[in-house]
Amino acid sequence: MDRFDAVIVGGGSAGLAALMELSRLGIQAVLLESGKPIGSKSVSGGILYSKNYPNGRVYNVEDIYPDFLDEAPVERRITRYYLNALSGSKVYTIDLTEAHEYRTNFAYSVLMARLNKWFAERAEEEAAKLGGGIIEGVHVKDIVWIDDGSGSSSGSSSNSGSSSGSSNSIIVTDELEEFGAKAIIAADGVNSEIALISNARGKLEPEALYQGVKCIVRVPEDIIDERFDLDDGEGVAHLFAGDISRGHNGGGFLYTNRDTLSVGLVYHLDSLLKSPIEPYNMLNEFLTIPVITNYIVDEVAVPKELDRTLPKEEQLRIRFGLSRLLKEYEGLRYTYYSKHARLDAIRQGLYSSEEEIKARLEEVRGKLEKEYGVTFANNYVEVEYACKLVPDGKRAMMDKPYKNNILFIGDAAGKGIFLGTRIEGINIGIDDAARAARAVARAREMSNFSEDYMGRYYAQLVDESPYTEDIRRIDFEYMKIFVRACKSIPLEPFPLFLRLAFMLIQKTIVQELASSIARMMDQSTLLKIIESNDAYVKIPMEVAERVGREVKPIAEIRPLSIDERIGRLKIREDEVPHIRIKDPKSRFIKAMVHLCPTKCYIMEASEEVSKEGAGAKARLKAVVSNVILQHEGCIECGTCSRETEWRHTRGEKGIVYEYG
Amino acid sequence: MNHDKDVINAAVMVKLEPDLSEGNVSYNPDGTLNRSQTKNILGPHSAIACKAAMYAKVCYDAWVSVCSMGPPTAEIALRDAMGLCCADELHLYSDRIFAGADTLATAETIKHGIRKMGRSIDIVFSGHRAVDGETGQTGPQTAWKLGFNFIGNVIDYSIDLESRMVKARRKIDLPGLYTVIEDVESPLPALIALDPSYRDNYRRVSERLRYARLMKEASRRAKDYKSYLRVWSAKDLGVDVRYVGLAGSPTIVYKVEKIPKAKASRRAKVVDPSNVEALREVGNLIFNIAFGER
Ligand SMILES: Cc1cc2nc3c(=O)[nH]c(=O)nc-3n(C[C@H](O)[C@H](O)[C@H](O)COP(=O)(O)OP(=O)(O)OC[C@H]3O[C@@H](n4cnc5c(N)ncnc54)[C@H](O)[C@@H]3O)c2cc1C
Ligand code: SF4
Repeated sequence: MDRFDAVIVGGGSAGLAALMELSRLGIQAVLLESGKPIGSKSVSGGILYSKNYPNGRVYNVEDIYPDFLDEAPVERRITRYYLNALSGSKVYTIDLTEAHEYRTNFAYSVLMARLNKWFAERAEEEAAKLGGGIIEGVHVKDIVWIDDGSGSSSGSSSNSGSSSGSSNSIIVTDELEEFGAKAIIAADGVNSEIALISNARGKLEPEALYQGVKCIVRVPEDIIDERFDLDDGEGVAHLFAGDISRGHNGGGFLYTNRDTLSVGLVYHLDSLLKSPIEPYNMLNEFLTIPVITNYIVDEVAVPKELDRTLPKEEQLRIRFGLSRLLKEYEGLRYTYYSKHARLDAIRQGLYSSEEEIKARLEEVRGKLEKEYGVTFANNYVEVEYACKLVPDGKRAMMDKPYKNNILFIGDAAGKGIFLGTRIEGINIGIDDAARAARAVARAREMSNFSEDYMGRYYAQLVDESPYTEDIRRIDFEYMKIFVRACKSIPLEPFPLFLRLAFMLIQKTIVQELASSIARMMDQSTLLKIIESNDAYVKIPMEVAERVGREVKPIAEIRPLSIDERIGRLKIREDEVPHIRIKDPKSRFIKAMVHLCPTKCYIMEASEEVSKEGAGAKARLKAVVSNVILQHEGCIECGTCSRETEWRHTRGEKGIVYEYG
Repeated sequence: MNHDKDVINAAVMVKLEPDLSEGNVSYNPDGTLNRSQTKNILGPHSAIACKAAMYAKVCYDAWVSVCSMGPPTAEIALRDAMGLCCADELHLYSDRIFAGADTLATAETIKHGIRKMGRSIDIVFSGHRAVDGETGQTGPQTAWKLGFNFIGNVIDYSIDLESRMVKARRKIDLPGLYTVIEDVESPLPALIALDPSYRDNYRRVSERLRYARLMKEASRRAKDYKSYLRVWSAKDLGVDVRYVGLAGSPTIVYKVEKIPKAKASRRAKVVDPSNVEALREVGNLIFNIAFGER
């Protein structure tokens, strides 16, 4: 049987950093990722931060990948950060750039599926030097511990592990022969199966989770620059709060990538469960509020309805020619409206000058109009839809991020700083990874991979991380900066009592006072205030309504339907169902009919009642009585995992994200 | 034969073939294959043989040598083979004299080639057959000439280095009846012909890692394939000219007959390939199926 010092389960940003760091510390490590290619199951917002703290070091992405700043396929450097209070078509924008820059070295917008491929290349190269590497398309389904002498215990079927825990473990997958691992790093994300298999923790409560839903919208690079007033390579982040949420706790985001925008919503899952609403409908409402529409709108070609009375052959000739020309037009347009693409095209000798590209673009456009009757209208170009749970670190972070010989990192360990306008997960998983790698290195040195030794040492390292303190306690310095930013809100239009309250908050001395009072309050009371519906919804609405500017839509767009979205996703169907409903009648499962982002849960009419032909009311009752699951469209977001037997798909199967 | 125990020397015989995949085929007006315009590639069955050789490299650290008989352009097939099995050597047997060879004459050339590889070969991999009208006999005939055991239709195999035996699983399709799966064992040296349904299946972590590493090395070597390549003439190989090429080919192709098909409900229309209008109609029909009304 093969046996390795270190096995990493999960090839997201956290797992890959662990592989890189273990390899750099001279430890042969193998990473198993169920998606193929690597990165195909990653979803983020996302802005990747590099941070610095006065009270201790954090391991940043550039510490793990030394050529990150020069080589990594990041999107734009985020240099401006705004919070937008919304009410109807009114917006009030607060500049939070200072809060964004707080303890920040740099921040980039990233597309996780792409960036993870780059991380994987680097990590694999390093791991290969020691005979380790990455294996894609392998799903870990169990871990078995062999108690020395006393037989084996399967993680999933028993309360395994003595207090010290066995380090003699065997990894069981769907795709490979079993193999041994001395240390295991669980980087299998928010829906960690390893955490459940090993009994390290139970399923996360809805209170400890957010549901994030997003889409990638394509807009040519130069148009993004112009629209957001950006210099080359610079980017902006916009957060949104107010009436977009239909009363749910959470908000929206819009980040600029190089030639796409990441647009999405993040809501507390418990809030969604209370009044379930379809994430795709919420997303569509978000896309159609004027301020968002104006950001994402783009000119798209609209082909003329084909004249069906024409001879068949002629119809085909038109279609064929049209689709070819449209393709050319699109390619030319993205080239022309991107200085980089323009230069590349000229350098490659495809065109001799920018004028030539422009001339060709106009020529093709003219041809489309004249020969095919194509018109050009405003709409938007959505290229990918995605959804995933996000662990709310404050409530989801594992107290003991280890079990037996397993160390939990990143989302799997419930990490993340999500507080109001602070959104950080990727950087924290990377910091975890570096610490876990150090713990494994020490354990190997001492030949002791036990829970008591390696596990505890890892916990100690994690405790030393400034991020841990940040997750546990609200950072009042940050809050102060936030409040200071809110000073810009003009007070005149507000009723006297609110004005007074604002004024008090804005006085520095009161800020100090307030933060000392806040410091004295216990964390959960404080969280109740910060994360209240008032803070997420009512106050922003109030602000927008009273002092916001009216935004007029410059165009109308037609958001994609969920069926169109699913149709565009690449999902490799797994014939073996990976999710099983426990109780098809439970409230939770019924809520999934609305909350599953790809409509996998559907109501099934009950036959009994229709046979009896009972009254309208009774029938209604029967109609909502049973829920069935069609797992084929599942994108493994985890929303339904709480009351189902939930696993990821087998290796290579399931969702394949291109952007992430 | 003298052997270092634990060492496996493998050879793969591959063939350059017209790319019969969609969009790459060109036909003469009379409906025959236009060989000069059709792109040539490593034949799909040869590719499978390469994969099986890679398996030997991954699992038994085999030394692998790929050979092909063909025109100078056949080095393309060797380059592609390199990308699949990370070969240590490439051999091209190219000589006017070899032209017009049937399977027996080809086998004769390859026999000489394999004997000249500088190592005593333990196992030879060949494809099932070529796509451009070959009868699947080159493999067995080469085995016979080399005096190797022959195992055909192989879908899986393993080698026991200790006993120097190859275990193979064969799939024998009896059309309309049933499929037989047969496990056989043979001492080395042996020649195995891979069934088209052969899939490499690396079930161990160490194998997957090694495979990934070797594939990287393979694409590096494929870029630099010429430095692994040796081209042999008939003289270099020391063949007896009476047994190779057209002279050595006893097979007479009397007539190529189409196997009568069972009656189907489909209708076909013959289209004159020189008639642009007619071709456009075909294109349109295909287009209609792809993008047409739903
Ligand atoms: C909408 C949204 C917006 C976000 N915005 C931001 C942001 O702006 N900034 C930020 O820093 N963070 C953000 N986050 C959070 C951030 O994306 C995550 O914290 C981060 O991606 C987690 O990385 P990870 O490696 O821990 O987990 P993942 O990326 O989830 O990786 C886990 C991997 O493990 C694999 N896996 C799972 N189970 C198994 C198994 N049994 N066997 C083998 N493989 C397995 C999965 O396929 C997956 O590839 C956001 C998240 C979402 C959803
Ligand atoms: S079925 Fe899949 S996509 Fe739907 S909620 Fe569950 S995990 Fe998410």
